This record gives sequence, structure tokens and C-alpha cells, in this order.
Amino acid sequence: MIRTENLTKVYNGKTAVDGLDLTVGEGEIFGFLGPNGAGKSTTILMLTGMIEPTGGRCLVDGIEVAKDPLAVKKIIGYLPEDVGFYGNLTGEQNLDYFARFYGMDARERKERIAELLELVHLDGVTQKAGEYSRGMKQRLGLAQALINDPRVLFLDEPTANLDPEGVREYRELVERLAGEGKTIFVSSHILSEVREVCRTVGLLAKGRLVAQGTLEEVARALASPDGDAVRIVVETREHLPDIEDPEIIAVERNGNRAVIRATTDIRDRLAASLFEQGMHVREMRVEEPDIEDVFMAVYRR
Amino acid sequence: MALDRLLNVARKEFSDHITSRRFVIILGLLLVISAIGMHSGIGNYNNMLESYNQQLQHMQEVDVDGPYAGWMPEKPSIMLIFNAMMSYMTTLGAVLAIAIGFDLVSKEKETRSLKSLLSHPVYRDEIINGKALGGIAALGFAMVLALAISLAMLLLFSIVPTLEEFAAILIFGAVSLGFLLAYFAIALTMSTVSRESGNALIYTLVIFFTVSTLLPVLGAMAGDALAGDRPEPPQSAPMPTPVGRTVTGTASGGYFTTSVSKAVVHGGEVEVDPEWQQYEEDVKAYTEKRMLINDVSNLLSPQMNYFKAAMAVTNPRIAVMMNSPYSSPPMSQETPGLAEALGKVWMNIAALIVFPSAFFAAAYVKFMRMDIR
Repeated sequence: MIRTENLTKVYNGKTAVDGLDLTVGEGEIFGFLGPNGAGKSTTILMLTGMIEPTGGRCLVDGIEVAKDPLAVKKIIGYLPEDVGFYGNLTGEQNLDYFARFYGMDARERKERIAELLELVHLDGVTQKAGEYSRGMKQRLGLAQALINDPRVLFLDEPTANLDPEGVREYRELVERLAGEGKTIFVSSHILSEVREVCRTVGLLAKGRLVAQGTLEEVARALASPDGDAVRIVVETREHLPDIEDPEIIAVERNGNRAVIRATTDIRDRLAASLFEQGMHVREMRVEEPDIEDVFMAVYRR
Repeated sequence: MALDRLLNVARKEFSDHITSRRFVIILGLLLVISAIGMHSGIGNYNNMLESYNQQLQHMQEVDVDGPYAGWMPEKPSIMLIFNAMMSYMTTLGAVLAIAIGFDLVSKEKETRSLKSLLSHPVYRDEIINGKALGGIAALGFAMVLALAISLAMLLLFSIVPTLEEFAAILIFGAVSLGFLLAYFAIALTMSTVSRESGNALIYTLVIFFTVSTLLPVLGAMAGDALAGDRPEPPQSAPMPTPVGRTVTGTASGGYFTTSVSKAVVHGGEVEVDPEWQQYEEDVKAYTEKRMLINDVSNLLSPQMNYFKAAMAVTNPRIAVMMNSPYSSPPMSQETPGLAEALGKVWMNIAALIVFPSAFFAAAYVKFMRMDIR
């Protein structure tokens, strides 16, 4: 549904996004992670047709964004970071203004707006958007992103201004929208937030995609210099014998305990081998890298 | 560019303008002051009309061979009443135009609503054109309101404009709108260039004072400097009479004039003194050169262009005289028509069109290239 090919953006000689190759499948909830200034928002601006790439291209539902931004905008919704509205208009009037760009007739607009305001709990709010709290603006932002019932939703730091209740409701909403088959692209620098809702993630640092996959895959790839190496912790009652397997990269021994780095998960073969040698296995598990630590390490690079 | 999207932006902008407190207050002030000015202008007009009627009556009684036999008083035009509105337009009108334009884009950048807007299916050119159109419509609305009130006041005082006068009122409105658009365009451009509305306002005011005050002064100084020294009258010849045309207005708007070349009388024969004739030609060349330099620099001043163009509508005789003091026939002739007067100020009218167009173009280009991060 979303694809970028060597996507590059240079601002005043400084590369904000550097040859980004990314693919997000239909119906996925994709988390776009990275520290502040990594190029996440710039990538989203290019994907939503608001700025043109310096190089490469990006496609949404097969449409090249730079060539036909309007066609893309018709099928996407976008919640910008720190979303803004017309302070002299009510939430309803703001949504009505945006809805007119989709050629919706008056009845259609009225029904859709009422539905969305109820969804984000802003129904019955008569005050002008200029008097809204940041949380209310964020919720109205979500409503405006959904005004055209988009197939792809881009959310930039969606929970930044929400209270815990708002965050919970946002998560439920994202799950519901994904259930409807929408592709959701969530950009955030908060790992815990992405972890809660996203099935796949991409990690961006200094404009480059560092890793992509499920959170565990990404964490593992980043944690090990061998890429996809699996760390297996083994402990036996007896002193550990020599362990041999073509998949093993390295073994760190410590008496009756060892940490084995292998190219794949070889626990079944390992257990059988130890059993054959009369060993009593006390523990055998794949050691998952600490995701927070791994991501923090990338953030600090 | 789709018209419906452009109109959607323009409709919202127009609605924002006419419901904004800022617009309502300044427009209200402009209308009230204009109405007061109109009221006073109507009083003057009635006095002139009365004087005209008295002169007409007097003309019927004077001797057919007397010195005033060929002179006819001129009927005052109701357009003179609009002179008052002209001066308010150059101040409060300009303030109104600046007030609606200086934060049109910068405010959207500050509140980040521009990003939200651009995320919907609308092109940038539709946004900037829609904003310009909405502003122009709001200023047009203000102008229509001002003219409607003026017409209502005229009718209230039982002054019914002729068809020609009505056309002149409409042209006056169009010229005034052109003037307002000049400052609206400047404000819109500054709003597009600046990140903050405060800066946009300051830049606009700097340009406003530069083109309205500084430029005419600089133009006059340049005229003085480049035209050289004013020719000296001949020392040997007798005391000269005034050179150039003398125009004397009357209470009714009629004019007496004297011709230019003054003959020196020797022994009953009229003989033109060649020294004085040369002096007269030198002064003419000097004045025309000064005027040309001044006029060229004043083309950059919407105030001066508006003044000349509006004067051609409200007072064609003065306008023609101001623009070509040496080239027209003696002023005792009939008042020049509106078309002739407008023809004399075509460059000022063109400047009133070119000036805002240039600034709108600058705003357009800047907006299209604007970084919206």
C-alpha cells in the first residue's frame, strides 16, 4: 500500500531523508520510529504530497505521490504533529471547510461530521477551535484526518497531547480502523506507544532506514552485529560439554552455563544433543534483546 | 485548478473577513467618516449650486456687450462631493486593506492550520488565489457599501445623479478599489514572506510609508536635482506679467483664465519680446522636465496614482490642468469630459493595475515555494 524507492529530501544542502526504501502492506499498522530530527515528519510530508522529494519516489496505493498528489490526498488522511485549526471557527465549521474539498454534498458532510465529532468526543462542543485545549485539538485533528474515510491514515506523533484516557481511546480507535482494512502509518519517537499498537515497525536514524520488521525482529537485528543471530541461553546441572553445530557462530561459556550465538534457533537440536550426552538441562531459552535498550542505543548514535 | 476548490477557499476567507472584529471596526470607521465628509460635501455642493443659479440669473440681466457677455458659469458636478471620500480612502482605506491582508498567510503558519489545509486535496495555487480572491471580494464589499451609503445620502438630500454622473461614481469606486488592492497586495506578500504576523505588519507599514510619503518627496527632490536650475527672467526687459496660465475658480465652479504669452506694448503696436518669449519657453521646458521626473517616480506611489485617477473622475478640469498645464487649449473652454480626463491619467490607472498585480505575483511565487515544515 505504501512504498518508497530511494526517497531522498535535501533541505538547504542538508539531507533530511537519505535513500529511504520502505514497504508497508495493506491493512498494516506500521510504526515509524526514530529520534527527533531523524526525518520521520519529512518522510510523511513527502508521502502525503505536501512536499516534493529531491530524489527517488514514493507511492501510495500504486499512485506516485509527486505526480498526482491530489489523487493521493483523496485516499489518505493525515494528522500532523501539533495539528492546527482556524481559531475563529468551531470544530464543526473547521471540519465542514475541509470536507468541502472532497466534493461531499451538504447532507453527506453533516452526517459525516456528526459521526466523527461523536467518535472523538467533541460532539456538543460549541466553543471555537481557538479556545480548545491541546488534547481537544488533537482529537479534532484525528476527526479531520478521517473526514474522507481514508484508506491510508498517516498519524504523526498522535498521542503527543493526549491524556491517558485519550491515549486509550486512540489505541482502540486505531485497532478498529485497522480492523476495517485501513493501512495505518504511525510516526513516533516513543517506543512504548508504537509497541502498543503497531504490528510492524521501521526505524529511522539520520534520514536512513536502520531496520524494518516486527519489533522483535528489528530489536534482534539491531542488537547483534551478526544481523539476525539468535542468542540461546543454556544451563545444565553438569559441566557443559563442547557444543558443536554448523549454525553456531560463537559460544560464551561459564561453567555449566553458556550463551550460544547461532544463525537460527537450534534449541531442538541442542536439547537432543545434550540429552544424548546425559546432560540434565535446567534452562534453555532464546534471549530476546531488551528492545528499549536497543532502540535507545540507535537513538543515541 | 478547480474552480470549486478555489471558491471554497475564497468563500471562507471572505466570510472570515467580513465577520472579523478588525474589519468591521475599521470599515465602520471609514463609513462613518466618509458619511460625515459626504454630508459636508453635499452642503458645499448645495452652496455652489445656489451660487450657480444666482449667476445664471445674473447673466440674464447683464449687458450683452459687457465684459462678461461670453462667460457662462459652470454647473457644479456632484462628483465634487466625492473629493472628501478620496482623502479618507487614502488613509483609512489603506489601513483597512492592510488590516485584512497582513496575516492572511502568516497566521496560518503560526497556528499550523496551513499544514492541515494542505493535507486535503487542494493545490497551493488554489489556496493563495482563493485567499487573494476572498480579500478582493471583502474590499469590493466595503467599496460597494461605501458607494451605496454615498448614493443613499445623495438621494436623501434630493440630489439625483445623471446617468453620466452615476457612471463616474462607479468609475470612482473602481479606481478606489484599485487603490485598496495595492495595499492589500503588499500586505498579502509580506504575510507570505514573513514567518510572523507582527513582522509582516511592520514590513507592510514600512512599504506603506515609503511609497506614500517618502517616494513623492524623493521624486520631487530628484525632479529638482535633475531638471537643473530654474531659468532666470530677462534683466533688460520691462517688468514681466505672470507667465503661464492663471486659473481662478469661482464659487460655482466656473473658471476665468488668462492666456500665457504676454506681449509688450510699444507705441500702440503689439510686439512680442523675443527675450521673454525665450524665457517662457525655457520655463515651460524646465517645468515639463521636472513634472516628468516627478510623475515617473510617483507611478510607484499608489497614493499619487489614486489621487490623479480619482481627481480625473471627481474634477476632470483640475485633473487635465494638473497633467498638462501647457498643452491644452485655454481654460475658458468647456470642462473636459470624463473620457478625456481619464485619458490624461492612463499611466496612473495602469500603475494602479500593475502595482497590485506585481505584488500578487510575488505572493503567488513565494507561496508556491514556501517551506511548510
